[in-house]
Amino acid sequence: MEIVQSIVNGIMLGGLYAVIGIGMSIVFGIMGLTNLAHGDLVIVGTFLCMSLAAQFGGNLFLSLGLTAILMVLIGFILQKYLVNKVLDKGTEPALIATFSISICMANLLLLLFGADARSIQTPIASTNIVDTAYFSISAVYFLDFVTALVVIAALHYLLGHTYFGRAIRAASGDAGAAELMGVDTKKTYSYAMCLSMLTAAIAGMLVGMTFVFYPSTGTQYLIIAFAVVVIGGMGSLAGTLVGGVVLGLAQLLGAYFFGVGYQLLCGYLVLLILLTVKPEGLLSTAVRK
Amino acid sequence: MSSGMKASRWGNKHLAQKPGIVCLMAMFLVSLPFWADEYITTIFIQILLYMSLGHMWNLLAGYTGLVSLGQQMFIGLGGYSLAVITEVYHLPMLLGIFTGGLVSVLFAWLISHPIFKMRGVYFTIGTWIAAEALAVFFSNWTFVRSGQGFNITISYGLSTGDIYFVALAAGAGSMALVFLLLRSRIGLALMAMRDNEHAAEAIGIDLYRTKLMCFLLAAFVTGITGGAFYLSIAYIQPFAAFGIDWTVAMVFMVIIGGIGTMEGPVIGAAFYVLMKQYLYAYPGISMILLGTTAIGIILLAPKGIMGMVQERYGLDLVSVRRWSKEG
Repeated sequence: MEIVQSIVNGIMLGGLYAVIGIGMSIVFGIMGLTNLAHGDLVIVGTFLCMSLAAQFGGNLFLSLGLTAILMVLIGFILQKYLVNKVLDKGTEPALIATFSISICMANLLLLLFGADARSIQTPIASTNIVDTAYFSISAVYFLDFVTALVVIAALHYLLGHTYFGRAIRAASGDAGAAELMGVDTKKTYSYAMCLSMLTAAIAGMLVGMTFVFYPSTGTQYLIIAFAVVVIGGMGSLAGTLVGGVVLGLAQLLGAYFFGVGYQLLCGYLVLLILLTVKPEGLLSTAVRK
Repeated sequence: MSSGMKASRWGNKHLAQKPGIVCLMAMFLVSLPFWADEYITTIFIQILLYMSLGHMWNLLAGYTGLVSLGQQMFIGLGGYSLAVITEVYHLPMLLGIFTGGLVSVLFAWLISHPIFKMRGVYFTIGTWIAAEALAVFFSNWTFVRSGQGFNITISYGLSTGDIYFVALAAGAGSMALVFLLLRSRIGLALMAMRDNEHAAEAIGIDLYRTKLMCFLLAAFVTGITGGAFYLSIAYIQPFAAFGIDWTVAMVFMVIIGGIGTMEGPVIGAAFYVLMKQYLYAYPGISMILLGTTAIGIILLAPKGIMGMVQERYGLDLVSVRRWSKEG
């Protein structure tokens, strides 16, 4: 019954993919920007978390906290001094600017850490939390999925039920009207980017615990993030979980039926097919821009 | 565009109207391998080939509104066509390069229907994902020796001069093609589309066909250039051949040189190749410098180096615009 194992792993992995994609979804939903640097920023989070964990004797909670603070700072600076300025110049310049940021980040990591594959060591990496005759769930994969649920629930509350969330949604709904009402939309965009970077820090730590990583893996996670957001529907929070699970299942079932070499290919093909037949996503709330 | 008015200081600057200068440049380029040393020739090979890639990306992103991050798929198809034709079937090299162009057009045409349904950023990332999918597919395809790749042994017998002429054909050919295309009816249609897509459609321009033609042309030339590149690299492997690095080069060249200008890819290619060469020992640093330069250009001078020159001096060497008698 290996297929049960593949399905379980696919769903759990979908949680990780959702956390990776959610930051991209926030930025897209609120400022209409496709942040091509998102994948590399997640990997920056992974490297930060790894370095800090090495400093603090493997204390992952402490290093996650510090990583989150640093990532939010990076996001704020990038947004305030760069992205906000490029956004005025139109979609394509903004797209290419984030692409340039992505290349710079990847090469900076390469300079600082070298090209070797690394991982974040944790005691839970090799333990199974559920172990039955049919399938098992590794503790790391379980953590990935639970974190996704927690992050999505927290963001849902934050964006839907707080003043802060209402301000952000007002700016995303109609930037012009919000500005007339005295909302500083550029500042709101900065907050949105900070929120996105917070999720990127969490995603970064989970990626480091689940997989090996190296400076050039960023593009791979960008594509995952994009896939999750597209499958789920741009700007939909619950959609990101659906998107993550669909992608995770597509990859692991692809690996089950066609061999491990085709795992990534199956994910890409499912995404391309969905992009063609249902470009607005499965659970879309935002208007396509 | 005020370049017509400012033209007086430099006189008439359209190279198309100065056949003497064009002939001199052509003679310089054609004779280069006979008097320049190996190193200079190699640099020119790189500049010409990157220029060809830049022209094609510029045609798509600068004139057609198709920002593709998946052009590396045609490089890979071109390189692999060359490898398969020469290594598996032992046929001539030029046939291999030409096949690369054909295979690229065929693949571009096959994916054009689904990929053109994606608009804007969806198109951008859709093309990228298609290229990534090809990389994974080729790394599993035993016919092309999976991840192991090919040594392209036919290129061992070629001199630098031989490769130079292939590169010159690709570089000069791509520039001539884009120039002629932009001065044709299609060029007018493209400019109408760029200025106002709905109005262009209303006066009877077939947006889909016009975009498709540019996409196919870019695929063809990028495929051929990919083959030419792999003549000088002589070893092909899926993740390098279909790697995003190719498109990174195209984007940086065109943005830095000047998007939507004919001269931009030329300046960009020279800048890119010389920078990479100068910082050869520090590949990471050269990419970071190129990335920050590109960001700076987007922020400060959206039309790139050429845009700045045009605005300052009204210099418009290879104009695709047609002036009326008074202009």
